[in-house]
Amino acid sequence: MTNLTRALLGASALCTVAGLAAAQETTLTIATVNNGDMIRMQGLTDDFTEQNPDIALEWVTLEENVLRQRVTQDIATNGGQFDVMTIGTYEVPIWAGQDWLAPLDNLPDDYDVDDLLPSVREALSVDGTLYAAPFYGESAMIMYRTDLMEEAGLEMPDSPTWSEVMEAAEAMTDKENDVYGICLRGKPGWGENMAFISAMANSYGARWFDMDWQAQFDSEEWNATLTDYLTLMNEYGPPGASSNGFNENLSLFQQGRCGMWIDATVAAGFVTDPDESTVADSVGFAQFPNKEGLDNHGNWLWAWSLAIPASSNSTDAAKTFVAWATSKGYTELVAEEEGWRAAPPGTRTSLYENEEYQEAAPFAEMTLNSMEAVDTQQPSVQEIPYTGAQFIAIPEFQGIGTAVGQTFSAALAGQMDAEQALSQAQSQTQREIDRAGYTD
Amino acid sequence: MATQHSRAAARFMIAPSVLLLLGWMLIPLGMTIYFSLLRYNLLMPGNNPFVGFENYSYFLSDPTFLTAMLNTLLLVGGVLLITTVGGILLALLIDQPIWGQGIVRILVIAPFFVMPTVSALVWKNMFMNPVNGLFAWVADLMGLQPYDFLASAPLLSIIGMVSWTWLPFATLILLTALQSLDSEQLEAAEMDGAGPVSRFFHIMLPHLARAITVVILIQTIFHLSIFAEILVTTNGGPGVASTNLTYLVYAESLLRFDVGTGSAGGVVAIILANIVAIFLMRMIGKNLDA
Amino acid sequence: MARAVTPRRKAINSAVAWTLAILIFFPIFWTVLTSFKTEAQAIADPPLFFNFDWTLENYVTVQERSNYFRHFWNSVVISVGSTLLGVIIAVPAAWAMAFVPGKQTKNVLMWMLSTKMLPPVGVLVPIYLIFRNVGLLDTRTGLVIVLTLINLPIIVWMLYTYFREIPGEILEAARMDGATLRSEILYVLTPMAVPGIASTVLLNIILAWNEAFWTLNLTAANAAPLTAFIASYSSPEGLFYAKLSAASTMAIAPILIMGWFSQKQLVRGLTFGAVK
Repeated sequence: MTNLTRALLGASALCTVAGLAAAQETTLTIATVNNGDMIRMQGLTDDFTEQNPDIALEWVTLEENVLRQRVTQDIATNGGQFDVMTIGTYEVPIWAGQDWLAPLDNLPDDYDVDDLLPSVREALSVDGTLYAAPFYGESAMIMYRTDLMEEAGLEMPDSPTWSEVMEAAEAMTDKENDVYGICLRGKPGWGENMAFISAMANSYGARWFDMDWQAQFDSEEWNATLTDYLTLMNEYGPPGASSNGFNENLSLFQQGRCGMWIDATVAAGFVTDPDESTVADSVGFAQFPNKEGLDNHGNWLWAWSLAIPASSNSTDAAKTFVAWATSKGYTELVAEEEGWRAAPPGTRTSLYENEEYQEAAPFAEMTLNSMEAVDTQQPSVQEIPYTGAQFIAIPEFQGIGTAVGQTFSAALAGQMDAEQALSQAQSQTQREIDRAGYTD
Repeated sequence: MATQHSRAAARFMIAPSVLLLLGWMLIPLGMTIYFSLLRYNLLMPGNNPFVGFENYSYFLSDPTFLTAMLNTLLLVGGVLLITTVGGILLALLIDQPIWGQGIVRILVIAPFFVMPTVSALVWKNMFMNPVNGLFAWVADLMGLQPYDFLASAPLLSIIGMVSWTWLPFATLILLTALQSLDSEQLEAAEMDGAGPVSRFFHIMLPHLARAITVVILIQTIFHLSIFAEILVTTNGGPGVASTNLTYLVYAESLLRFDVGTGSAGGVVAIILANIVAIFLMRMIGKNLDA
Repeated sequence: MARAVTPRRKAINSAVAWTLAILIFFPIFWTVLTSFKTEAQAIADPPLFFNFDWTLENYVTVQERSNYFRHFWNSVVISVGSTLLGVIIAVPAAWAMAFVPGKQTKNVLMWMLSTKMLPPVGVLVPIYLIFRNVGLLDTRTGLVIVLTLINLPIIVWMLYTYFREIPGEILEAARMDGATLRSEILYVLTPMAVPGIASTVLLNIILAWNEAFWTLNLTAANAAPLTAFIASYSSPEGLFYAKLSAASTMAIAPILIMGWFSQKQLVRGLTFGAVK
């Protein structure tokens, strides 16, 4: 006991000394997702603490689904555990509407808000006020193995249709050698498998709800979407697909196990990284597929962004950090340390005008085009009562999306067929949406 | 020996524990019951109107509820079966004269020290992963297709993981109990011509009854609310194949943020747990004083 | 129990026991081994056993990324703190139940145990709100309180089963000699109870160390123990088996080593009075 006391005293004495040395210290607790770009940011914070010796940073890095639960719980209960939260284009407008987020006004002059990509900026603003700063932005596209396509004697068009994708997946599959024609998300979660499946459904002409908020999973379009998704994955996908999310698929692709991967554009920087990826030299890019005769490429738009909860006690310090992490300076810092290819994509126009970046990042053009093509006001080709993208912009969507995601994941795991999954999704969704009062 | 004076003192000494636990139970429970009568969604702040038992009917009419109850029972029952039977066999074996008994015991006890999150992550990724996991490699060696454990048999996989952690616990208690068995009694039985099987059922098993009761009680307490293993490996899925009551309540209150329904589910779970508790307490109470 | 068996029998028994023990231990061994590989070697096909270049790189990466030592210290403070606090509260209760049993004693004990069966998720939101209001979120004090309360029933019960084994006559004798209640506890009871208290403490440190529900949900950064530390290695980007293994090894090593060293006391503690 005395030893413990002594150790405690010693530790607090040390803290005092350190505290005095660093003058008034503010500690920011930052909640973030354990994706590659964020991990990289953690490694580069020395630059920030050198510029701001009075601000210390504490990281809470979590898996995507867990992160969402933790930050939502904290902000909704006004818990105040975090000073900076990593959230996306889904949360920002809803949370800002609840006055849960501190507005990001008075950013430093050199921040250049007008440089942000218009679609991203708009998605993170409410009534013209920015509530979160984009750390990286993404749409979705196809990443494929040029060497495998060549071997198969096929060529990937810049803008393939789903049947061309199916054909390519079949041709590249070589299960004997652990090469699977296509890797897609299967891990349940509204931001995991449902992000992909909703985008795919958009491109198939499906919609979540009709104008009277009646769920539409019993429609032909959804049937076609889910049936094709299951066929792709069961015939040409890797085993264990129902627990693969973004990170798992990234890892599989880097190991050379996937012929094709349709996912967030941000992955391009990682699959072409020669240090991490065994297939860095042979990756090609193509637009998110569409269904023959339909002009809809999924409308996937997402930006992992840094927001400051209104409950934070250190709003100013937090703002300083957010501005640093999403500044042009940070982009340059990454470029300096790891090369332009690794710069956080999809947030700033200036990056895409930078010749060095265009040269280092063969995926730059495809990324920008994909992002610019997105229409968040009208993600489906049919009439819809909601806005969104690969998600529906209503608070209930987290719950509904996750439940439906579980059901589709069960279909992928072979527990039920597409018909059963769709009818279950239909009743789950209708049950929730009725309860929430949309159909009254 | 108990005088009036010492009784008063005893009450005084028990009081802090009782009051603390009472507070720990009643205050949150009271709040949970209160929340369960409100429409209370964290994502939609408002005036949280009183809705009576609506949350209960919503929770109970969810088809997932029955599945979750069944899964809870299977999970607890499965782990109990594996650890108790496995524990008895393992204890009988280690109780025999063997070389290096100390080291064997150290190896066997180790999994009990592994925190559930670590155990779940290690099993999920390094063993059960159908592409890079060790089991997939073994299957490959034997010319089999890799088996996707967490997708095809999620509940069984989780039972396996939990059993791995708790088998040492059961083994050690049962081993200690075995070692306290009077060897003369066994020898006498052997002289009388009782075979090993009959010796086991007539002498050892009755002697172990008390230890087995304790193993079952303690494990049930912990397994009724298994959570970390499910959260880390399957998130309750695929579908709801590995959702137990604990996870279902978690999903309601912290994934859908419907605290009202979640609380109703919590109350239901608490009632069910209490039924199990009463049943168990009867059993243990009888056995412990015997 | 020294029973005579033939050497052949002993050899067979030993072989079977060792095989099973190694199988049971294998996942831990494999995790530790993998933590010294590079990421590429960690998923090599066929798996590498000892023929790889041992590296400490993963440990360095993990420490840099997640500040292991702070989490470690939090785990120590929380598990030791809650256990000691729990024992201090539980000793008088267990003593009274063991030596002055009343009609209700057994019921009280059973009721205490039954509180442990309440599913924690059922009360998470209320506790979270209470903690927010009194400023205990993400503090070690808060976690010490919660873990003390959830382990208190187990502590009381374990101590009770030990104390009951202390023969009452000794106390009678001490009382005859005119010992006061205080000296009775201090000079007679305590020395006899120390082994029991020690194993109770050990088991509860382990339970508290590994507790993963409250520690995950009530902490962010300041008070986050090793259970939270490991959570950030759940499905991160790219290849991560080696880093995951290193982090896992660091999370379980302290308690594993402590457990091994105190094995004898602990095994005794694990019996919960199941063995008279």
